[in-house]
Amino acid sequence: MEEQLSLIDLVLHASFTVQLVMALLLVASMLSWYMIVQRFIYFRNAHDEMYQFEERFWSGIDLAQLYREGNEHAAEGHAMLGMESIFRAGFKEFSRLAQQSDMDSEALVEGSRRAMRVAMMREEERLERHLAFLASVGSTSPYIGLFGTVWGIMHSFRGLANATQATLATVAPGISEALVATAMGLFAAIPAVLAYNRLASKVEVFSNRYDTFVDEFSGILSRQAYALRSREKKAGAAAGGR
Amino acid sequence: MNSNSAASSIYAKPVVPRIVLRPALASVLLHGLLLFTLTANWADSTRDVITVKPQPKVINARLVDASEFKPKPKPKPVAPAPKPKPKPAPVAKPKPAPKPAPKPAPKPVVAAKPKPAPVAKPQPTPAPAKAEPEQPRMSQQELAALTRADLARAVAEEASAAQAAATSAEMAASYAALIQQTVINYWSRPPSARNGMEALLSIQLIPTGEIVSVSVVKSSGNTAFDRSAINAVEKAGSFPELQNLPPREFEKTFRRFSLLFRPEDLRY
Repeated sequence: MEEQLSLIDLVLHASFTVQLVMALLLVASMLSWYMIVQRFIYFRNAHDEMYQFEERFWSGIDLAQLYREGNEHAAEGHAMLGMESIFRAGFKEFSRLAQQSDMDSEALVEGSRRAMRVAMMREEERLERHLAFLASVGSTSPYIGLFGTVWGIMHSFRGLANATQATLATVAPGISEALVATAMGLFAAIPAVLAYNRLASKVEVFSNRYDTFVDEFSGILSRQAYALRSREKKAGAAAGGR
Repeated sequence: MNSNSAASSIYAKPVVPRIVLRPALASVLLHGLLLFTLTANWADSTRDVITVKPQPKVINARLVDASEFKPKPKPKPVAPAPKPKPKPAPVAKPKPAPKPAPKPAPKPVVAAKPKPAPVAKPQPTPAPAKAEPEQPRMSQQELAALTRADLARAVAEEASAAQAAATSAEMAASYAALIQQTVINYWSRPPSARNGMEALLSIQLIPTGEIVSVSVVKSSGNTAFDRSAINAVEKAGSFPELQNLPPREFEKTFRRFSLLFRPEDLRY
């Protein structure tokens, strides 16, 4: 103590429990920063992908053509993200069901809609990955830090009990080193909470967009299903009449 | 069948690109940077060493003693007193910088002078704004109302920026001299002291000027000599004059500093 109270010394001279708490908080902070950056990159990618796909989807391209393009992309090892995977799930289910002639158009649309729902769930799951971790780091790490601090202060006061002459200098280093734990807890928590709120609202935006897309696409599919079935009926009637 | 396997293939392989490297790098870098800044700022002090070496003998000490007592009472009642003193030494012009006091009264004479010197020369760009008040010097009363505020600010900024380094260094030097003299006055050298002995003490002060801790960093090899040095500092007890020092300057120079004891005046 007689020399300088450097941060390193504070950490190194802390009691074992406090050191453990600090290590835990450091790991939590590093992990949460990793996840923050990773999530932001992923969301940016998903956002770009969504806009690109929407543009292509509404450009009037043939849906079968779009599906085939997607196949080629997937074969190249390209990522299949977000809206496109919803589209692929719905379209595949639709074309598979359409081959079974005993299915009526209602069942056709309902089936493909279900497939899209499943794909959407999957996409949302992907978006929300790691968010729970950020939330729990944000809410618990201040408490962990506080625990470390309380423990450290307890420790330094216990040391004081044995000293005959109690000066500020005997407790100050202990309290100072204990407070480092709180600082670290806050340092881990604040970015995690901020990022969690931001990302959660982004997930909301994404899932709304996906929802809308599912509705729009199933509208298109139901139109096609009716057209398909009525054509088949006509063809059947013509064949029966002949 | 075929379509089934295709469906499973799309979901089976994790088509999501693994984003690992960039976040990991960012996280590690951030924490490394944080740790670096924290530790670097925490322990940066390249400490100033104040040398205590009584050059000639007792006579000189008395003389300095007398002169040292005069400035002491002055800084106590008036806080800004030490400021103007060191200023005239480095530069004569920027003296009117103490903006708060002489702003309104010496407008026509004093305020007009610092303008051309510090403003006009180093700043050619904001000429239009500053050229105006120069020409109509008699009608400054009216113009002053408009321009005084930002003029004063500009002058003060520049003057203070230019002076800050010099002034603070000077102040630090003068206070260092003060500490040195005080310690010398309290120092009674043991008979075993010899020329060329050196004891380096580390001293910690608090802003009231009181000494919190004294410790020997480098011993002279002579315990009595070290002991006498520590005694001298402890007898000095506190340097209340340091309260006049601006807190930043205090933190920079006097929060902890080293004191080098080196007698050279001994005859043997």
